[in-house]
Amino acid sequence: MTPATPLPTYRSRFATAIFDLLNPVPYGLFVGTLIFDVVYAITRNVFWGKGAAWLVTTGLLFAIIPRLINLCHVWIPSRRYPVTRLERVEFWLNLFGIAAAILNAFVHTRDAYAIVPLNVILSIITVALLSIGQIVHALDKFRIREVIRD
Amino acid sequence: MTKPNPPVLKRFAVAAACAAMLGGCNPHAQYDASHQAGSNPPLPSLRYFFSPPMQVPTYVGWHNGDTPKVPDGLKIEKIASGLHHPRQVYVLPNGDILVAESNSPNEEPVTTPKQVIAGLITHKAGKAAKGANRITLLRRRGDGSGEWDKTVFIDHLHSPFGMQLVGNTLYVADTDAILAFPYQTGETRITTRGVELADLPNTINHHWTKSLLASPDGKKLFVGVGSNSNVGENGLDVEYRRADVLEVDIATGGSRIYAAGIRNPTGLQWEPKTGQLWAIANERDEVGPDLVPDYLTSVKEGAFYGWPYSYYGQHVDRRAQPQRPDLVAKAIPPDYAIGSHVAPLGLLFYTGNNLPAQYQGGAFIGEHGSWDRTPLSGYMVAYVPFQDGKPSGPPQPVVTGFVSADQKHIYGAPVGLAQDRDGALIVADDVGNAVWRVTKE
Repeated sequence: MTPATPLPTYRSRFATAIFDLLNPVPYGLFVGTLIFDVVYAITRNVFWGKGAAWLVTTGLLFAIIPRLINLCHVWIPSRRYPVTRLERVEFWLNLFGIAAAILNAFVHTRDAYAIVPLNVILSIITVALLSIGQIVHALDKFRIREVIRD
Repeated sequence: MTKPNPPVLKRFAVAAACAAMLGGCNPHAQYDASHQAGSNPPLPSLRYFFSPPMQVPTYVGWHNGDTPKVPDGLKIEKIASGLHHPRQVYVLPNGDILVAESNSPNEEPVTTPKQVIAGLITHKAGKAAKGANRITLLRRRGDGSGEWDKTVFIDHLHSPFGMQLVGNTLYVADTDAILAFPYQTGETRITTRGVELADLPNTINHHWTKSLLASPDGKKLFVGVGSNSNVGENGLDVEYRRADVLEVDIATGGSRIYAAGIRNPTGLQWEPKTGQLWAIANERDEVGPDLVPDYLTSVKEGAFYGWPYSYYGQHVDRRAQPQRPDLVAKAIPPDYAIGSHVAPLGLLFYTGNNLPAQYQGGAFIGEHGSWDRTPLSGYMVAYVPFQDGKPSGPPQPVVTGFVSADQKHIYGAPVGLAQDRDGALIVADDVGNAVWRVTKE
């Protein structure tokens, strides 16, 4: 009988590190976009609208690599690390959140107050979907632990 | 464990494709310039887009003796080439032609991601070439060859545009100030430094040209000052003394706002019959291919023409915030629309008799051409007939052929206009880097 080898909870150290390094950045930038969008809608000071345009655009740039890693993780199956249903739910939440952010970046190319109110609506959608995604991610962690304990 | 759901994936792909198309599609214009000309042009409702609709022809330039086209009865010749962004022309009493080689000072800071993209597109159409920041003098040779000599007249200027000779003083409107130069008839070079008569609004310089026109009595200079934004997106504090016509007193250099709310008055002229001040103006963008029509208007003292709060009178543009219902209430519509996005940059009331009778008594307009509309509009010198001091018909194409028939390539683009001593029409072409002269055949 061979002794049971401890099973790592990740498929690739490199991908996991890069993902954990970059994945929080767009989430924070999109929350910032929402705050700036709301402040612009209220104050009508163009500084906030222009700030929001930079936040949503850089958020999307930072999202590219972690989203690609997540795409491979969820849709290129591995027998040793089966993808859970929650991970797939999290994928879709992020995907639609990012799609809303892409539309939002286009909306932010409009001049002055033409971005209101669509900027606020799309920012809320992005932040809501990504927030739920974060919660789903947390729930998924609890489950993995139980599996390992078994 | 369930397998990935192909229908969901497919549905998403379709949704993504739709979003991409929404972002990139060019809604087709419904009106051409002649349908949207007149004192009461049709104005469709405002539309906003996911990205500004664009159609920009690729720069080619003039090759192998190609020229713009003119109708039968006219002929066109190139009198100068190899210039650096010739933007404005002015004829001196002895027949010499001054050419301001000039482009934006490029002082506008990049404050949005959109400006990064827009910069690349302007470059593609050949409209971003660096100006030479000088005025060049063209003089016809006395040997009857029809050739013109070219000499540097005034160097080291700062994005010059307007030029006016009053007595023995040549006034040049740099983007930041009006400079006065002493001038003697026949001079081909001025080396003395200009003396500042008055400073001009000089922040950002989103619209950088300062057009210039002296009053007939030589006591005032009128200055067309463009806005610092499309529609107030750089904040309204930077629009102080912008989008207006300033009146500068030549004796003191003191100035006041003569008329306001004109987004970009790039050409000022006296209407010869009535002696009334007229201007061409570029109206706002990014609310549709048929909005807002550019216009030709008399400029009434103390009047407000709407920008940025409204257009054509009381049509409110909610992009400019906070709104100003008090200003909208007093906004007056311009006299005559000349089509959407034609980008008028040169105005000339023709008073000569070299050109055929059908081109006498009205106004020529240099239309630099659209970038945000399909099909293209402008890219020609148009003629608007006048009767009793008022436009009496839609703009007619006169000098055309600046873009290829398929609208993919651009050879040149007309800007400033002037009438030379023989009554010929002089056209500056800042994309083809040439000056054209149009005469009777």
